[in-house]
Amino acid sequence: MQVRSAGSHNWFTRLRRSDISTALLFLLPSLVILGVFNFYPIAGVFRLSFFKWDNLSPTKTFIGLDNFIRLFQSERFWNSLKVTAEYTLVVTAVSLFLGLVLAVFLNNRMLLGKSFWRSMFFLPVVTPTVAAAMVWILLFNPGFGLVNVVLRALGLDGLNWLADKTWALPTVMSLGIWRRLGFTLILYLAALQSLSKEYYESAEIDGANALQRFLHITVPLLRSTTIMLVILGVIDSFLVFDQVMVLTRGGPDDATEVIGMFMYLNSFSLFKLGYGAAISVVMFVVVAVFTLMQWRFVGFGSAGEAE
Amino acid sequence: MNLLRRLGAEPVTPRKARTTLILALILIPAAFVVLVPYLWMFTTSLKVRGTTGLPPYLFPNAFEFDNYLKAWLAAPFLRYYLNTTIVAVAIIASRVVLASLAAYAFAFLRFPGRNLLFLLFLGTMMIPFQATIIPSYLIIRDLQWFNTFQALIVPRMVDAFSIFLLRQAFISIPRDYLDAARLDGCSHWQALWKVVVPLNSASVVTMGLFAFLFAWNDYLWPLLVANSEQMRTIQLGLQVFAGRYQTEWTYMMAGTVTATLLPLILFLAAQRSFISGLTRSGLKG
Repeated sequence: MQVRSAGSHNWFTRLRRSDISTALLFLLPSLVILGVFNFYPIAGVFRLSFFKWDNLSPTKTFIGLDNFIRLFQSERFWNSLKVTAEYTLVVTAVSLFLGLVLAVFLNNRMLLGKSFWRSMFFLPVVTPTVAAAMVWILLFNPGFGLVNVVLRALGLDGLNWLADKTWALPTVMSLGIWRRLGFTLILYLAALQSLSKEYYESAEIDGANALQRFLHITVPLLRSTTIMLVILGVIDSFLVFDQVMVLTRGGPDDATEVIGMFMYLNSFSLFKLGYGAAISVVMFVVVAVFTLMQWRFVGFGSAGEAE
Repeated sequence: MNLLRRLGAEPVTPRKARTTLILALILIPAAFVVLVPYLWMFTTSLKVRGTTGLPPYLFPNAFEFDNYLKAWLAAPFLRYYLNTTIVAVAIIASRVVLASLAAYAFAFLRFPGRNLLFLLFLGTMMIPFQATIIPSYLIIRDLQWFNTFQALIVPRMVDAFSIFLLRQAFISIPRDYLDAARLDGCSHWQALWKVVVPLNSASVVTMGLFAFLFAWNDYLWPLLVANSEQMRTIQLGLQVFAGRYQTEWTYMMAGTVTATLLPLILFLAAQRSFISGLTRSGLKG
């Protein structure tokens, strides 16, 4: 056995000299696709952000940093950042909190049908955002929508949710939370299942009650999962677009105009492509910073792909 | 079975009974809130036209399957389905092939600059799609690919996440398996498809599931590059349909059920590999 493996090692070292051509062949298709549709466009968006271009005229005008200067002087840009920050903060915080609480209940060993419950809460994650937004439009319809029906049954006045400057954003957030909850729940549950029972046994002997065990043992032990979920949640929420586009298109006025919507409107409704590129650069920088933080704290690999 | 065994094996103490009751009191309402949108969607889709404002709201008492027929006739949903299926199958197939090839190279082949190139590939994971959308749109325009399948497929044929997922799986298989295959005279190509991929079929399936969901839920990119009636994919088609029949709630919800059902069924059928893929890639990385 020893001899064989030593022999095969030499054989492999010799063989590997010829790996270069195979590697090139195997990697070439991916290199081309990622090159044309990732590396070239990200370089292109930086370049375009220094130009003024309406998409129609044959020439682009170099204007240096003007797009960025105008962007940082634009109230609408700061509004979009504020709206995005609010959305991100609320959706990330609420989905993390509810996900953790539900995960703790689902992790109870006396619970029957664990995988059934887990699937129920996970369904929204695999539900298409556009389809879910259609349901939201009707649920929050001012006339016959279920939300107002329930409110009226409780003796309250219904609202025109999506047309209300104060309530449109929370309505969009509710969809975001609904779609995010299952994801945080699943990852918290997996983390909980990997925790050692010993911590809890000694705490129980010490007479700690359920809430104390949750606050002083569970929460600290889940710290790395929480960090990862915060970072992934921030990236995901920061890029929110589909539900805003379907539910409000950024309105009423600009009450729900998140930065993705702001970029889309400038680029593909007004065709201010240079200006749109500058907004894209800002989005890239924010996401890149958070991705690097994730790699720093959690390691490679993002679970955000499913959305 | 499991349930019976557990109920039989453990005596029901007051404390256990109380815990079970508390769990039920919390989880049943929570699950109900999460499921309300589905109940509402389904019930509305089966209502008699014009009764959408009346109860019941959550459990159907009418079964107007005609609504589905009418929705399908009012918009080319079959066409949307077909388009989406073509795009999804093409993306899954190409990712299985291209990501496997790249993952194999990163996992087993030795060549100069391997780590640097791998980092470069991983680096694309920090580029959000929305940051590159303007140049990507311009590329499609210059290629004159608007309203074609290649516009929806080619940019998505491979992605760093799939390569990363497979590479992590590949490096965990015992080196001996690969050595044995190579000693038997397998080329790298044969070793990949006859040994490495079959041994990692679970990861490949997980990757394929993610790719399917991605293609099925895709919205912004098709909106920009393939928004003609003949080329629309399902989510885009649904939105256009809803814009046209906004007041016809029953048809609108019939269309929405149509656009939602397949990913839900697929998830319920394959949830194990789904959830394990998600937790593995998310936690360990």
